[in-house]
Amino acid sequence: MRKFVHRLSEDMPAWALRAFMLVFFVFLIAPIAIVVWMSFSAQSYIGFPIQSYSLRWFRRVVEYEPFLNSLIVSIKVAVLSTLFATAIGVPAALALARSRSKAADAIATFLVAPISMPLIVLGFALLFYLSTLGFGLSLLALLIAHSVVAVPYIVRTVIGVYRSQPADVEEAAMILGASRWQTFRYVTLPLVSPGIFAGALFAFLISLDNLPISFFFGSPETSTLPVILLSYTENQFDPSIAAVSTVQMLLALATLFVVDRIFGIRNIGAPT
Amino acid sequence: MLDLNRRKLIRGLGAGAVGLATGGLRIGGAHAQSQAITVTAFGGIWEQTIRDVMVPDFTKRTGVRANVLIGGPQQWMAQIEANRAKPPIDVLMNTVDLALIAGKTGLVEPMAKDKVPNLADVPARFLDVVEGNGVLFTYGAWGLAYHERVKQPPKSFKEFVEGTIKGRWRASLPSAAYTGTPQILIWSLADALGGSVDNVTPAFEAIKQMKANSVFWTGISDPLTQLESGEADVAVYVDGRAWAHFDAGAKWIRYVNPTEGGVMQPSIAQKVKNGSDAAWEYINSLLSPGPQAEVAKRMNFGVSNSKVDYPEPLGSRITPWQETRWPPFEKTGIAQREWLDRWNREIRA
Repeated sequence: MRKFVHRLSEDMPAWALRAFMLVFFVFLIAPIAIVVWMSFSAQSYIGFPIQSYSLRWFRRVVEYEPFLNSLIVSIKVAVLSTLFATAIGVPAALALARSRSKAADAIATFLVAPISMPLIVLGFALLFYLSTLGFGLSLLALLIAHSVVAVPYIVRTVIGVYRSQPADVEEAAMILGASRWQTFRYVTLPLVSPGIFAGALFAFLISLDNLPISFFFGSPETSTLPVILLSYTENQFDPSIAAVSTVQMLLALATLFVVDRIFGIRNIGAPT
Repeated sequence: MLDLNRRKLIRGLGAGAVGLATGGLRIGGAHAQSQAITVTAFGGIWEQTIRDVMVPDFTKRTGVRANVLIGGPQQWMAQIEANRAKPPIDVLMNTVDLALIAGKTGLVEPMAKDKVPNLADVPARFLDVVEGNGVLFTYGAWGLAYHERVKQPPKSFKEFVEGTIKGRWRASLPSAAYTGTPQILIWSLADALGGSVDNVTPAFEAIKQMKANSVFWTGISDPLTQLESGEADVAVYVDGRAWAHFDAGAKWIRYVNPTEGGVMQPSIAQKVKNGSDAAWEYINSLLSPGPQAEVAKRMNFGVSNSKVDYPEPLGSRITPWQETRWPPFEKTGIAQREWLDRWNREIRA
């Protein structure tokens, strides 16, 4: 008996941790599961318990043009802004990570500014700034706005990964005759690629869900899904919202799946 | 195993990016070259009605296309303000408090009766409410919605307050986070309980006492869930949406226009300054009796053209505008910051 009690007390922290993990997992997953569950309701409005099941709200997602059009805009903006932000953010991160200047640290901190302030304020400011520059409510303006938010994610992850690598590796390549380009292409880039893809993954997912920035740049051609969903929920109360959210979740999961198959989620953010 | 590798992915993304970017530019180019105006609509049934009824009527008469921008008044006002000389919107659908601001700040033009013939059939009050800087398109009345399990529902706001305090039912009230709360709750209760826009103490005292038997909502669909789940029994709610919910299958919902009168909540159409002149024709379509009757049928809301006859059951559902109470919108707009501060100190605390 004493042995059992002793063993139980020894195992208690591990069991407590497991129980905590389980409760935490349920806490995170439950709201998502309810949304997915609700998307299969046959009722004309959101209500519990669900009386019968159908795929009618998924059909509605396809039939209601603004849902589908805005989903396409959201994907387009997420992909392009991620690529733009990567093109801008990676060189900046590489330069800042190896710089010994005190200003570099300040600049690296400053680059996080776009996500340090309320996004609704940033969206409002960008609307006036980009309108003054003549971009108006174009797709380009929306891309610039989303890229501004995406850059910090890419810069921070690349700086983190690059700083964890000794500079000796690149120096060795150059001593052995590699040009600057060859060193970058064959040594630096493979070293920082987990950081690039981690940052790009965050940037993509954050752009896909972004409401406060997209809100100010919506036009008949550039309204994103979150903006349409917000307006829809304020005026209609049917489960199509749940269905379109389920589709968007599947899209995010598909992205994670592809990234996992190529890089392995475990490797992202850590040097391979 | 997926036949994917990093090089293929990067190549694919690069090619896709070029396609997406050029596709996007094509959209912009097409829009710039064609004759079209941009009109605004709230999402869901609103947008569908505008697209199915108003836009075809306008395009048939003028040959001009109308692109529909879905969103909300705050978004549209900011977009017009940022591009005053070349506004991205020609016709703005607005709430009354923001419509008043849009008029005062010169974002919109006064209604021109010579350019909108249907204004002749619209009661003067529907223009006066925004000082002539727009016209009422549709309206809802904020009364009381309740679940059929409530056997003796309140007939007035006064009874609603008393019954809630006594615990006869649980109330669902709009929170300070909802934009209409200053009018539909604070002014409404003050007015019903002997106060006024200059003396809202009776409303705050009532809300404080009701708090123990109330739940507060932020999203306009929340009361429907609260009523069905039993979290609340009676809600301050708008007639059109209560009836729309009934038609959607929620046969348990009931609506009553309180004896004091439901609170008027209008949607205002405004012609944006420096926007296309074709916008006047679109506003004329918005006010046409035929399309307006269809709007009322689809949305369960009252409309502004006096020639519209509501068929049953619509006729008995829609609250006549003469039986609604009109808050002094300009004063409530000015006072709402002070009321919010008071709410934070007295209700939220």
